[in-house]
Amino acid sequence: MSTRPREAAPSASRFGRFVSGDGATAFVMILPAAILFGLFYLWPFVNGFWLSLHNWDGFSDPSWAGLSNYQRLAHDRIFLAALRNNLIFVVAVVVLKNVLGLGLALLLNRVVLGRTFFRAAAFVPVTMSFVAVGLLWSWIYNPVFGLLNGALDLFGLGGLKQSWLGDADIALYSIIVVDVWKWLGFHAVIYLAGLQTIPAVLYESAKMDGAGPVQRFWHVTLPMMMPIVFINTILGLSGAFVRNFDIVYVLTKGGPNHATEVVLTYMMSKAFQDGAMSYAAAIGYVLFLIVGLASVGLLALMRRQRLEV
Amino acid sequence: MSAAANPPLSRDGAADHRHSVRRLGARGILELAGIYAALVLLLMETIYPLLWVLFGSLKTKQEMLSNIWGPPSSLVFQNYVDAWRIAGMGSRIVSSVFVTGSALFILVAVATPCAYALARLRFPGRGLVLAVAVAAMLVPPQVMAIPLFMVARDLGLINNRLGIAFVYAATSLPLSVFILRSFFVTLPADLEDAARVDGASRLAILIHIMLPLIRPGVALILIFGFIEIWNDFFLAFLLLRDPAVQTIPLGLVSFFQQYDSLWTLYFAALTITTLPVIVVFIAMQRQFIAGLTAGAVKG
Repeated sequence: MSTRPREAAPSASRFGRFVSGDGATAFVMILPAAILFGLFYLWPFVNGFWLSLHNWDGFSDPSWAGLSNYQRLAHDRIFLAALRNNLIFVVAVVVLKNVLGLGLALLLNRVVLGRTFFRAAAFVPVTMSFVAVGLLWSWIYNPVFGLLNGALDLFGLGGLKQSWLGDADIALYSIIVVDVWKWLGFHAVIYLAGLQTIPAVLYESAKMDGAGPVQRFWHVTLPMMMPIVFINTILGLSGAFVRNFDIVYVLTKGGPNHATEVVLTYMMSKAFQDGAMSYAAAIGYVLFLIVGLASVGLLALMRRQRLEV
Repeated sequence: MSAAANPPLSRDGAADHRHSVRRLGARGILELAGIYAALVLLLMETIYPLLWVLFGSLKTKQEMLSNIWGPPSSLVFQNYVDAWRIAGMGSRIVSSVFVTGSALFILVAVATPCAYALARLRFPGRGLVLAVAVAAMLVPPQVMAIPLFMVARDLGLINNRLGIAFVYAATSLPLSVFILRSFFVTLPADLEDAARVDGASRLAILIHIMLPLIRPGVALILIFGFIEIWNDFFLAFLLLRDPAVQTIPLGLVSFFQQYDSLWTLYFAALTITTLPVIVVFIAMQRQFIAGLTAGAVKG
C-alpha cells in the first residue's frame, strides 16, 4: 500500500514531503472512512439544511422557501407540544436514571456475595431492543390483564388502577418509566465502577472525624463521584433527546391526542404521512440545534468544573 | 485500560467486606439483610417481566387468562412453531444477521485504519479530522433522518440490506474511530519502529502487529455495535420499507399490529428475539462490563 521510494524522501517541495512522509499513507488510510462519513453523515447534514430552506414534497421541483418552515414551526401547536413533551422526557429520564442508578450502585457496592449476579440482572434490559422492551411494557400496562393493574389488585390497591397508556395525563410518565427501566442498569454499572475507585482511606478519616453514613455520602462519595455524574448525565442526555422514537411508536404512536408526541415521532409523521419533507427536515434541524446546545453547554460546565472526560 | 481494570477493584471490595464483617454487630447484619432485600426486589422488577414473557410463551391462550402470574401448567412449544411461521421469523433473522454482520465488518475495516492514522501518523490536517470526528458525535443520526432518507433514495439504497449496512457503519463511525484511536495511542512506539527498520509497510504493521494488540478495543466496538444495530428500529423503519427485507424489530412490530390477540404467540416471538442477545450478554458479561466502564471511568 505505502509505496514510498526512499530516494524521494529529500524532495524539497511541500507536495514531495507530503507524499514521502506519512501524509500519503494517512490519506489512503483515512479515505474509506472519509467517503463513508461524507456520504451518510456530512451530505445528509448539509442537504437537510438546504431542504429545510425549501418547500418540497420529495418528488416535484423544490421551491425556495427561506426561513418560512422555521417560522411555521414556531406557531405549530403540535410541534410545540412535542417539544415540551420531549423536554419533560429528557429532564425526568436523566434525573431518574442518575438518582436511581447511583442508589442501585450504592446497594451493589455494599454486597460482595452475589454482586456479579445482581449487576448482570440489572443490566439485562440494556441488551434488549427498544421494540422488545416497548412490547413487553405494553403488556405490563394493559388495562385488562396487564401485570401492573394485576399487581395493584393483588396488594389491595385496586383504586390506583389506571389506563396507563390511554390516559393523556399520565401516558408520557408511563413511557418515562419504561425508558428508565431499560437504562437503569447501564448507569448503575458505571456508577459502581466509579464508587470502587474511591480510596477507603477517605471514609476511614471521615469516620474518625465523627461523620455518619449520610454525612459521608454528602461529603465524600458525592464530591468524588462528580466526574461520573457528569459522564452519566451526558450519556443520558444525548440519548434521551433522540432515542425515544422506538419506544413511543411502539407504546402509543404519540397518542392519545398527541399527549406523548415527541419531536422525532412528529417529524416522521410529517414526512411520511403528510409528505412534508422539507418541513420535517426543519424539525430535524431544530432538534439538532437543541441537542447540540445542550451537549456543548454541559461540556462547557464540565470544563469549568475542571472535570476531564 | 480494558479487561485488566476490573479484578483488582473487586479484590479491594472483598477486603473491605471481610474487614467490616468482623465488626458486624446485630445492627450491621440487619442492615445487610435490608440491602439484600432491596436488591432482590430490584431483581424481581427487572427479571420477573422477562420470566412472565417466557411463561406466557409456553401457555395455551386459555391458561394465559386463568393463570396470569405463574409458570405454565404444561409446555406448549407449538406456540414457537406457530410464531416462527406467522411472524416470518426465518427471513427476518436472515436479514438481521446479514445486515448486522455486514455493518460490523464495514465498520471495523473502515474505522481501524482511520484510527491508526490519527493515533500514529503525523500529517497535515490531523487535528481537523479529529475535530470533525468529535463534532460528529454531537450530531445524532436520528436528527438527519429525512435528508438521510433522500440521500439513500438518490443512491438507490432504499430496501437494500447492504445499503443500510453502510448507513449503520457510518453512524457508528465517529465513536468507533475515537475509541480505537484511544487504544492505538497507548501502544508503545518501539514495536512499530522495529518493524519499520525491517522494512515493513504501514499497512503490514497495522494488520500484523497493531491489530492483535488492540483486540479488546475491536471487541468493544463490535459488542456495542452489535447491540445497537441488531436492536435498531428507527433507521430500519426509515430505510427498509419492503417486508421481504425487514429485520427482526420491524417484523415484531408488524406482527404485533396485525395479530394483537395472539398473545401466547406474541410472547413466543418476543422470547425468540430477546433470548439470544441475553445469552450472549451473560456469556460475555465480564468483557462487556469491563469495556463499558474502562471508557467511562479512568480510575
